[in-house]
Amino acid sequence: MSLISKDGALRVAFTLNGRETTVETVTSRVLSDLLRDDMNLKGTRVSCGRTVCGACSVLVDGFPRAACSTFAFEVEGRDVQTIEGVEAPDGTLDPVQAAFAAKSAFQCGFCTSGMILLAKSLLATHPDPDRATIIAWISSNICRCTGYELIVEAVQDAARAMREGPKS
Amino acid sequence: MSDQKPLRIVGQPVERADAHAKVTGRARYTVDLAKPGMLHAKVLRSPHAHARVVSVDIAAAAAMPGVRAVTTGPQLAEWVAMPVYGYFIKDQPILAMDRVRYEGDMVAAVAADTEAQANAALALIRVEYAALPDLPDIDAALDTDAPDLFPETPRGVVPPYGQGASAQLWPRKNVCYAFRYASGNASVFERCDHVFDDEFRFSRMNHLHLEPFVCVAEWREGDEIEVVTSCQNPFPLRKEIARIFRLAESRISVKVPFVGGGFGAKNNCKTEPIALVLSKMTGRPVRFCMTMEEGFLTNTQHAAVLKLKTGVMADGTLVARQSHILLDSGAYSDASPLVAEKAGYRVSGPYRYQHVESLCECVLTTTTPAGPYRGFGGTQATWASESQIDMIARRLGLDPMEMRLKNLVALHEPWMPGESGVDSDMAEGLALVAEEIGYDRPRDAAPGWSRGRGLAIGFKDGGGVNKPAQARVKVSTGGDIHLMCGTVEIGQGARTALAQVVAEILGAPLARVEYLPLDTRYTPFDQGTNASSAITVMGQAVQRAAVSVRNQVLQMAAEHLGTDAAALELEDWTIRHGNEAHPLAPMIMHIYGGTGFEFTGDGFHKQANDHQAPLETKSVFWEIGWAGVDLSVDRETGQVKIHALAVSGDAGRAIHRLVCRGQDEGAALMGLGQALFEQMVYDGSRLINGEALMYRVPLAEDLPDRFTSILQEQGHGPGPFGAKGMGEGTMLPVPPAIANAIEDAVGVRIRDLPLTPERILSAIVAAQG
Repeated sequence: MSLISKDGALRVAFTLNGRETTVETVTSRVLSDLLRDDMNLKGTRVSCGRTVCGACSVLVDGFPRAACSTFAFEVEGRDVQTIEGVEAPDGTLDPVQAAFAAKSAFQCGFCTSGMILLAKSLLATHPDPDRATIIAWISSNICRCTGYELIVEAVQDAARAMREGPKS
Repeated sequence: MSDQKPLRIVGQPVERADAHAKVTGRARYTVDLAKPGMLHAKVLRSPHAHARVVSVDIAAAAAMPGVRAVTTGPQLAEWVAMPVYGYFIKDQPILAMDRVRYEGDMVAAVAADTEAQANAALALIRVEYAALPDLPDIDAALDTDAPDLFPETPRGVVPPYGQGASAQLWPRKNVCYAFRYASGNASVFERCDHVFDDEFRFSRMNHLHLEPFVCVAEWREGDEIEVVTSCQNPFPLRKEIARIFRLAESRISVKVPFVGGGFGAKNNCKTEPIALVLSKMTGRPVRFCMTMEEGFLTNTQHAAVLKLKTGVMADGTLVARQSHILLDSGAYSDASPLVAEKAGYRVSGPYRYQHVESLCECVLTTTTPAGPYRGFGGTQATWASESQIDMIARRLGLDPMEMRLKNLVALHEPWMPGESGVDSDMAEGLALVAEEIGYDRPRDAAPGWSRGRGLAIGFKDGGGVNKPAQARVKVSTGGDIHLMCGTVEIGQGARTALAQVVAEILGAPLARVEYLPLDTRYTPFDQGTNASSAITVMGQAVQRAAVSVRNQVLQMAAEHLGTDAAALELEDWTIRHGNEAHPLAPMIMHIYGGTGFEFTGDGFHKQANDHQAPLETKSVFWEIGWAGVDLSVDRETGQVKIHALAVSGDAGRAIHRLVCRGQDEGAALMGLGQALFEQMVYDGSRLINGEALMYRVPLAEDLPDRFTSILQEQGHGPGPFGAKGMGEGTMLPVPPAIANAIEDAVGVRIRDLPLTPERILSAIVAAQG
């Protein structure tokens, strides 16, 4: 594989939260371990470890992927966004983050990184999703705390805020 | 509170204190923690449900690369003073001693440089077992020929009980605890017009908290312990650790950062004793993080069989109820005695009876130990009780809602002799959910479907029994507020609500209040984050601590200004005296000099001991959940379609409305899963769906077409500003409300959970004869 350099190391080059990034890793490394343990990006949460719960969702080329079950080498040349890359560089919250905060659309917070990225991915292609679309989209992830209703409302609030643009 | 001023912060739509940390991913949980030199623990689990451990050979595992320690139950004697733990009964070994009692029981533990090395080493441990007959369920465990799961009876204690209540340890084979409660005279059954006997079964769920069971333990030089853990009750955990290792509690620091969900599972020892043993053996920090699959083998809800005998007059007046509840406790007692106490106590529900008598027994089986689970015995009790009330109403030709209204204990009326008065108008809540689902509207249905509506009321004592809480509020010279208390932020919003109470009392902006990290060495004592107790029990302790600080500050200012404290007000760390404003910082520097001062207020709350009360203290408050369901059943397939689910809780006074709403909705959806599909499935003693893919929990797509939560603020709560606890109540009534609506729709009664299409269809077919 072209990712293996002459010295035998596995080098993976990808865009992480808008920055060109190259890491040296091993073929068996999964993305969630690479992010959490090697790069100290702990905002990606791991729960079931087998692609079911969605807590570890990150965006790869804008679409949600379970980082627990994605090999690091799979993101070669791709664009990866984690929760750490969602807020603006000056710390301003993304409209989805702001809506989750305002709506208390979280409790323990363990699914929240994944849910926010999931919602961002939805709103990037569906600026005005109806309730059924939101429900279908977020049904890939488990939230054990909220009963989902406040999350659905937060996504609706975020969509509205994004359509109306930043308040002056 | 003497304040008659409008509230600035309590009840206002402020942002949760943990919002920014959680929406940015910055919140840190135990699972995120790593320490230099840290080892990773893994355990070998029994493949047998019940077996004698003949021998364990760890030599090959110990020689593996990266392996730093391997231990087994019999070898623990070198490292611990007591190899067993448990709440009332000390029966659960840290590692199996001579016997395993369920598939998944822990047999040996390894610490290695990496998790992969630890797992590789486990594969080389050779264990010889001699299989014994298993006890897969309650019937098997109570069979006269069943083997004794504990040939030598473990030691335990029975807590003090008051009027009408009692309990016994090991009353019969494979039963570790029996709780009894009785009030009134059984002779009233003789003058009942009808007596109905019905039996119900309750299936068990896993908690499925998303953050796994995890801790990082460090046994330091000089026998000092630090355990960072995902735990709901750090102080009782500290007590267990002190007992296990025979160490002073003052040498033990249990720290709890954000907890990623618990729902009851994260009480008492889970990962901590093994991690500590391995750390003591190696002198290095040890992380023990279980997988979700291991979580399924660690703690569950109680399955149950509930037999109710209820006497009633022809007009629907309830007279007497006798109940016999059998809880499937799994292989170890864990919190079963406490759950039995609650299930046995709560089973008569929110109604007035002349006589109640209940017996609740904890039956040990060779399955995952059952422990605390949201609802805590109330879920099981409500399932049976609210199902039977509906059945009786229908048998008598009465409307189930009317029959409920006829028998509800009234506002302020003691629930049982010696108990506190009920602090909600229960008829009011019932009317709200009935209205919301259109209880009286025509039952139109699609062709082939039948429409039905059902109601139920969940009822439990709230705030914990005999539960003390202490809190401390410190305010430094510049007005920075330190809130120190042992309530764990597990998602329920405690940091926000308790900080709101402090900010309100001290006239401070909410942002000035910092909820300090929880460390048992410095945080004031608390019994645990459970029983919906945070706002009513800890809340009162926090309130007193804040009032104490305010009084001290006002007293100081009054002396300084030569006036009476009553003439002063505290606002944004400034003393208001009529039209004058006196900033406090310069005043404090003037009075105390140096670098300033810190005002410290302590608060304590515990419901008073009372031997007239059945559980030795009157219930702190009553947690009530109302549910109404509008559904249709496909008579061809047994499929259920929920059109509307309405739930309601009474917050007394909502400190934070969205937080209360989230509690009610989350609990209700958990109840919906319990009602319709979620359960741990056993084939004999083997759990066959103990992992994320096979174990189905509610997803957003399971939301009913209309899902409404109605937050009541009836104003009768004992907590700060009239608050009551929240978080469990609305889970309880959902399964029986759905079963009641199913009978309303198709005329069949399902007595077993979950209410699967198969069960409903076979009942429909059977009814058609």
